[in-house]
Amino acid sequence: MDERVGRSGLTDRLIVRPEVGALLGAVVVFVFFTVVTEQFATIGGVATWLDDSATLGIVAVAVALLMIGGEFDLSAGVMTASTALVTATLSTHYGWNVWAAVVVSLLFALGVGALNGWLVMRTGLPSFIVTLGSFLALQGLNLGITRAITGTVQVSGMRSTDGYAGAGYLFASTFTIGGVEFQISILWWVVVIAAAAWLLVRTRFGNWIFAVGGSAPSARAVGVPLVRTKILLFMGTATAAWLVGTINILRFTTVQANQGIGLEFQYIIAAVIGGCLLTGGFGSAIGAALGALIFGMARQGIVYAQWNNDWFQLFLGVMLLAAVLVNNGLRKRAERVRR
Amino acid sequence: MSESPNPESLLTMTGIVKAFPGVRALDGVDLDVLPGEVHCLLGQNGAGKSTLIKVLSGAHQPDDGVITWRGEPATLGSPVAALRLGIATMYQELDLVPGLSVAENIFLGNEPASFGFTKRLAMRGAARDLLRRLGHPEIPPGREVGLLSSAGQQLVSMARALAHDARLIVMDEPTAALAADEVDNLFRIVAELTAEGVAVVYISHRLDEIRRIGHRVTVLKDGRTVAAGLPANTPTSELVNLMSGRMVETVFPRRDVSTVDESREVLRVEGLTREGEFADIGFTLHAGEIVGIAGLVGAGRSELLETVFGARKADAGTVMVNGKPLRPGSVPAAVAAGIGLAPEERKSQGLLLDQSVADNVTLASLPAFSRAGFTERGKELRTARATLERLDLRPADPRRIARTLSGGNQQKAVVARWLVRDCSVLLLDEPTRGVDVGARAELYRLIHQLAAAGVAVLLVSSEVPEVLGLADRVLVMREGRLLTEAPAAELTEAAVLDLVMEGSEVMT
Repeated sequence: MDERVGRSGLTDRLIVRPEVGALLGAVVVFVFFTVVTEQFATIGGVATWLDDSATLGIVAVAVALLMIGGEFDLSAGVMTASTALVTATLSTHYGWNVWAAVVVSLLFALGVGALNGWLVMRTGLPSFIVTLGSFLALQGLNLGITRAITGTVQVSGMRSTDGYAGAGYLFASTFTIGGVEFQISILWWVVVIAAAAWLLVRTRFGNWIFAVGGSAPSARAVGVPLVRTKILLFMGTATAAWLVGTINILRFTTVQANQGIGLEFQYIIAAVIGGCLLTGGFGSAIGAALGALIFGMARQGIVYAQWNNDWFQLFLGVMLLAAVLVNNGLRKRAERVRR
Repeated sequence: MSESPNPESLLTMTGIVKAFPGVRALDGVDLDVLPGEVHCLLGQNGAGKSTLIKVLSGAHQPDDGVITWRGEPATLGSPVAALRLGIATMYQELDLVPGLSVAENIFLGNEPASFGFTKRLAMRGAARDLLRRLGHPEIPPGREVGLLSSAGQQLVSMARALAHDARLIVMDEPTAALAADEVDNLFRIVAELTAEGVAVVYISHRLDEIRRIGHRVTVLKDGRTVAAGLPANTPTSELVNLMSGRMVETVFPRRDVSTVDESREVLRVEGLTREGEFADIGFTLHAGEIVGIAGLVGAGRSELLETVFGARKADAGTVMVNGKPLRPGSVPAAVAAGIGLAPEERKSQGLLLDQSVADNVTLASLPAFSRAGFTERGKELRTARATLERLDLRPADPRRIARTLSGGNQQKAVVARWLVRDCSVLLLDEPTRGVDVGARAELYRLIHQLAAAGVAVLLVSSEVPEVLGLADRVLVMREGRLLTEAPAAELTEAAVLDLVMEGSEVMT
């Protein structure tokens, strides 16, 4: 009976890690495109797909935390465009210093995130519906306000704004490894992963995230601040979207008002491939990062293989199903050995 | 009990009242717990034990009454407030977070931390110490709680109570999910805790357990304390007598003429067994007969009904309907043979809550209302309305959404479904749960009417008076076994209670 209660083999422990499926998937995808294409495993290739993974992964990691906390944020994709638009409009049309514009844009994101969280907690409605509402509302605002101010559906001309150099250095510069330029977004991604992973497993707040998503009544019964935890998580996804929006506007200096639509599902897919349960209470930040990595590798790998990009969706669907099946199977196995 | 509290008491509750719409769940409960004692709460289903625990854990606020904690008046405003005072509750459904580790669960909401960072090593060390104190040093503090057995999870729950430095631990049927050796270990821990001065409020239906570890017993009936602080060795007959004789709010309609048709055996169950749920169950049911199954929750009653209905597959044994064996594990076969089930969880298992009553009523007999694949709405509504009138379900509007009906009317809608099908065997699982007093009487009358019409009724209820009042014949189940079978007229409430709780046959 004693071994039964406390049984803990190394394999069992590894198997129950949420990111196992994603890790296997990432290895398979990497090996596959390394064999099939020539550029994939070169330094230049790596720099390309890491960048793609990074801009997806920064938000995907935050979305994973939110999903572990038991909620969804469908407005995260459009938020990358909204924040970029706020920064761009303030600095190009109203002549603000880029730094000031970026800060206001962050405050805007925090406000929307808090509003999302507050509405969800206040009304008790599923966050899927509430953030679907804010997703559509933001999309409308992006187009409407941009057209009202600029007369077009894009804002450009960031390069000539005040403070562009400094902000660009922080958010959109490159660094060189082996003669190849890597985007600084990759470093931001690493920072976000590290912060999120640390937060999740090493802080009180991290425990609370698991608790509010896994069993809200138990969390409440021992005094976990449920409402505060969830609102902060919504503010977290909005902040991650702001970071990506800022990186984008400073790198490309132009933003389309209809950008970002569809990304919200990619974030969720990356988080689910990374082992997050849709029901909350289970998942990992590293897993979501691996999910985003699979995304980036596949998207660029298909380009290198010179296949039609149409195949990307098929690949994605298969990848998602495979990862979920593997995660589910391992989880079941782990639960079987518990008695 | 209502005089000034014993100065040595850890906890005194006096005149606690808690009313919910339609029920007075607690109607003057007194409880007095001394430090270092195991104080057992005893009472039938509906006596108010669960509500009392919820008041004690801070989940419910009493409407009236005084709570004194260590000599001072106290308000248990929330679960956190109760926990801070030192009252920890271990519910039957363990309230742990499955995705967190053992140590994280123990210290959840109470994490040792500096600048927001948990002191992981300190936390794990402290968790290890607590688990060692509970006699289980082998449970790794880093292990995910969802991967522990229920015994392991219970230990984590107990360790959490200790981490909060609880002076009083409420245990709600803690042995329900445990094997015999695990029960021994639990009792050893309880003895050690009480030796350290921790008090335990212990809820169990098993009198043998109460004898083994209890010091004193408080008996509840109809939301009142009927006996406080009895010694744990009070004779069974006395305890059972205190618990029984509940005020029966509803008069059971008299059945002067028995409607049993002995010549028509409708259902015969032989040697029915499901591993770990029930074993070797055999009984018969005749046309027009009402057979009641008495037993505690967890005795295997619902599982038995679901197996007869084919929703669970028996490991051994047969079910025969009208002399023909039923294909095991097939609900369609059972329904085709004329069996109907009104499940215990009416809302989740019995009804399509957001569909109309008519849709619910015709659900099991849709072929009769279809032509070429289309549902005949008019016929459906007419039949539903006729059935609702027959059952006296008011308003008899088949277009109403099931969710908007009262509990009693929802139950009638479920029964109506099987009437439309002309079923010959009706299985009723806790038919009056969540049904108010007035509607209960109507349901009882309805059950009698069904029997008079020749339907064989198999009724499961935790309320002993209900079983005795309604049934022609009573089966008593305990821990998955059939203990006794007797005509209802030959049994008393006390005798059934005694069987149900202890298995000894002390007829009063």
